[in-house]
Amino acid sequence: MASIKFYFAIYVALLLLAVSKVVFMELLDYWAAVGGIMLSAAVKTGLIAGFYQHLVDEPRAVTWVVLMAVAAVLLLASAATFSIT
Amino acid sequence: MSEHGLPPKSSIKRWLVTTNHKDIGILYILTSLFFLIFGGTLALLIRLQLWTSGEFILSGSAFGQAVTAHGLVMVFFFLSPFAFGFANYIVPLQIGADDLAFPRLNALSYWLYLFAGLLFLISFFQGGSLEAGWTMYAPLNLPTYMPNPGASTVVGALLMFVASVTVSTINFVVTIHQMKADGLSLWNLPMFTWSILLTVWMMLIAFAALGAALLILGADHVLDTVYFTEVEGGSLLWAHLFWFFGHPEVYIVFFPALGVMLETFQTFTGRRLIGRKWVILAMILVTLQSFLVWMHHMFLTTINLEIKTLMMAMTIGISLPFDLIVFAMIYTLIKGRIRWTTPFLFNFGALVLFIIGGITGVFLGAIVLDYEFRGTYWVVAHFHYVMVAGGTALFGGLYYWWPKITGKMYDEYLGKMHFGAYFVGFNLLYFAMFMSWEMPRRVFTYHTGFEAYNQMATIGGFILGASFLIMFYNFYQSWYRGPVADGNPWEYSRTAEWATDSPPPLENWEGIPNYEKGFLEFVDRPEGLTDGGHGEDHHDRHPDHASIWPLTISLTTFIGLAGLMLWGEHIVYNTLFIVGLFATLVAAVGFAREDFYAPMPDWGARWPFEGIHKNKFGMWIFLASDIVIFGAFIGAYIFIRWGYGWEAWQTIPPEALPGLVNTFVLLTSSFTVILALVYAQRGNQKGLVASLIATFGLATLFLVIKSWEWNYLLPEAETLPEATIALFTFDWDPLIGTEGPALDASIQHSTYYVTTGLHAIHILIGMIALGYLAIRAYHGAYLDDEQPVENVGLYWHFVDIAWVFLFPLFYIL
Repeated sequence: MASIKFYFAIYVALLLLAVSKVVFMELLDYWAAVGGIMLSAAVKTGLIAGFYQHLVDEPRAVTWVVLMAVAAVLLLASAATFSIT
Repeated sequence: MSEHGLPPKSSIKRWLVTTNHKDIGILYILTSLFFLIFGGTLALLIRLQLWTSGEFILSGSAFGQAVTAHGLVMVFFFLSPFAFGFANYIVPLQIGADDLAFPRLNALSYWLYLFAGLLFLISFFQGGSLEAGWTMYAPLNLPTYMPNPGASTVVGALLMFVASVTVSTINFVVTIHQMKADGLSLWNLPMFTWSILLTVWMMLIAFAALGAALLILGADHVLDTVYFTEVEGGSLLWAHLFWFFGHPEVYIVFFPALGVMLETFQTFTGRRLIGRKWVILAMILVTLQSFLVWMHHMFLTTINLEIKTLMMAMTIGISLPFDLIVFAMIYTLIKGRIRWTTPFLFNFGALVLFIIGGITGVFLGAIVLDYEFRGTYWVVAHFHYVMVAGGTALFGGLYYWWPKITGKMYDEYLGKMHFGAYFVGFNLLYFAMFMSWEMPRRVFTYHTGFEAYNQMATIGGFILGASFLIMFYNFYQSWYRGPVADGNPWEYSRTAEWATDSPPPLENWEGIPNYEKGFLEFVDRPEGLTDGGHGEDHHDRHPDHASIWPLTISLTTFIGLAGLMLWGEHIVYNTLFIVGLFATLVAAVGFAREDFYAPMPDWGARWPFEGIHKNKFGMWIFLASDIVIFGAFIGAYIFIRWGYGWEAWQTIPPEALPGLVNTFVLLTSSFTVILALVYAQRGNQKGLVASLIATFGLATLFLVIKSWEWNYLLPEAETLPEATIALFTFDWDPLIGTEGPALDASIQHSTYYVTTGLHAIHILIGMIALGYLAIRAYHGAYLDDEQPVENVGLYWHFVDIAWVFLFPLFYIL
């Protein structure tokens, strides 16, 4: 279990990443902003899951279970969308 | 009270409160057999109708309802629950456990299943049930096109069934990974347990996708959203969501049957399965591949040729590991010495039928052939040769484990008679469908040239149905007058369930099963311990086996769902929903407050899930399921928006600011909930209570901002009915009338309100949990055991993560 200072540092990083989404939209062209925003969301997810949910401390297989679920939805969304492209 | 607080088996009360895995297994088997009779009766009605072309004994609508209910009842309410009756009874015995990891959740799974089935049955008395086939294709599954009120109830029943499956999945994943006997590795698990393990991993992903599809369909029914009536891809969206679940479902139904075949082939040939390691690897491969072929069910839709070609190749690919499994079984039969008992006959028959079903399926995997076969009885025949082949193996399983469950032997002669009638009836029924492969399915008018085949099929159907009279008579005779079976009635059985009495005692074993020396032996339970030698800190306490709360929660959920799905149809339904909702909350608190002891063995949690408590492990499995549900909602949004034109899409909230503020609110709540965990670990009660209250307050603030935003946006939608606006602006008066709420403004409104609404429901559930924790923490709880705080925190962080994606998708992009 980490210290409150560490959790606070993660919290600040999450706030900055949240703001970054709006900034990307203002500064970049549309599709570059989409990429930036999704990257920012992925990093936020990694910080929350890794350190607030302590995935880094759990057996690695738990991370694989989560990634398996994420992979399933990415597959469903991307293949379905591609099918009507 | 006879067995540690559990009433005797002769008492009805026992069957209402039991959490013991063997009792639950028996309840599953009996209930599923009831649904077999119900679904089978519908099948016979269908066959009678098809005796001649055109209207005969059923109207068009009744035929549509019978076909739909037959499919849904047989697949959801008979086949899988029948298999999980065995899984409940046998898997803990095979792995050397005393019970499942979460006995109360096991009972909850069963009662949710039973009440889901009852809700389905009620739909027939509500002015007509669903008429859309078991695939429930859009837009036939919508009130606009199929206005039977009972159709909405069917959606609710299936949602309840998905809830049952999800709870069961969590339980079996944790049990098999964490409750194996000492020295029993994953690799050496019995084949039936392997088949259940892979089945539940598939169920985890597949049923979550079905759950998402049904939640969206439920919104289309209750809130009049327009997902599946959307011109640009609404029907295709349903097909994608359904078949992403539907193809793995074939293996979810078949794998337990395969497990029974593999067990019985070993027992009745006296041979260990040849190529056992390769069979396990092939089954793992099929598990993965099952999620890569779903669009071969959609070759006749407008999906592009590239994806069709890819799916065709993947479909051919999935037949390869099955070839290996089939050859391993055949080779085991060749090398062994077969004992032609009833269980073996059924399983051998199942293998033959499955080979025919598998080969005829290859035709459907090829795009060009599928164009010809898809709408015909070829598909019906192939499907039944596969699915009912699974059922055939499971009936073999019922004969195989009957002596273990009842302690009595059945009559072999009657068993073989049953098999003979069953096999003849089956092939008359379904092979006639191959012969009439040019006949269109789903309708009861056909060319007179097919009449002879249809009459042959009808005769076969009645022979098949009558064969079960022999089975029930055989079991009736056995139960009352059959010879006593000892612990192991089969000479060459090799799995642990045969190493205890028939039926086993309440906690299965006298000693503790142990495989450390490479074979099963029993070590003495440590003296002075009454919990079975488990390592947790309740050594002076005996495990509990009874709880009334699983039944109560299921009953109240049943009442609430029955009301919700027909909300606005009548004041009675509105009342049922409100009463059911509040009663479920009360029952859930009762469940949480109950002091129920279900110990875990010290040695159980090994690779790959070592060192994680069962409750936390269970929460992670649940979250994986929730990831798929949220992911499917987001995927549905992306799919619909892509079809509509991504950049032509109008984002509903005019400003991103409320969403951004709510992002800050949720992130802050994630920080406060982690503070709660820190304070709990430090034994700081004030800090713990304050952190939980702060989290609760932030959640409230989130919902206040959200409701303000909806308040602001909803009146802007010109076409929204008054009742809808009332629902979301918390003006409840108009809702007491008979007008149901509706969200029929546009697909943009539908996706925005339904997806953020799902998130808001998650917030509300989290608030209930946080409120409960805060009250208990105020009274001194969690300072010496912070696990509940950590597990609720895991859920809360997930809700935060979901918003991380919803905010940009629905506010910015």
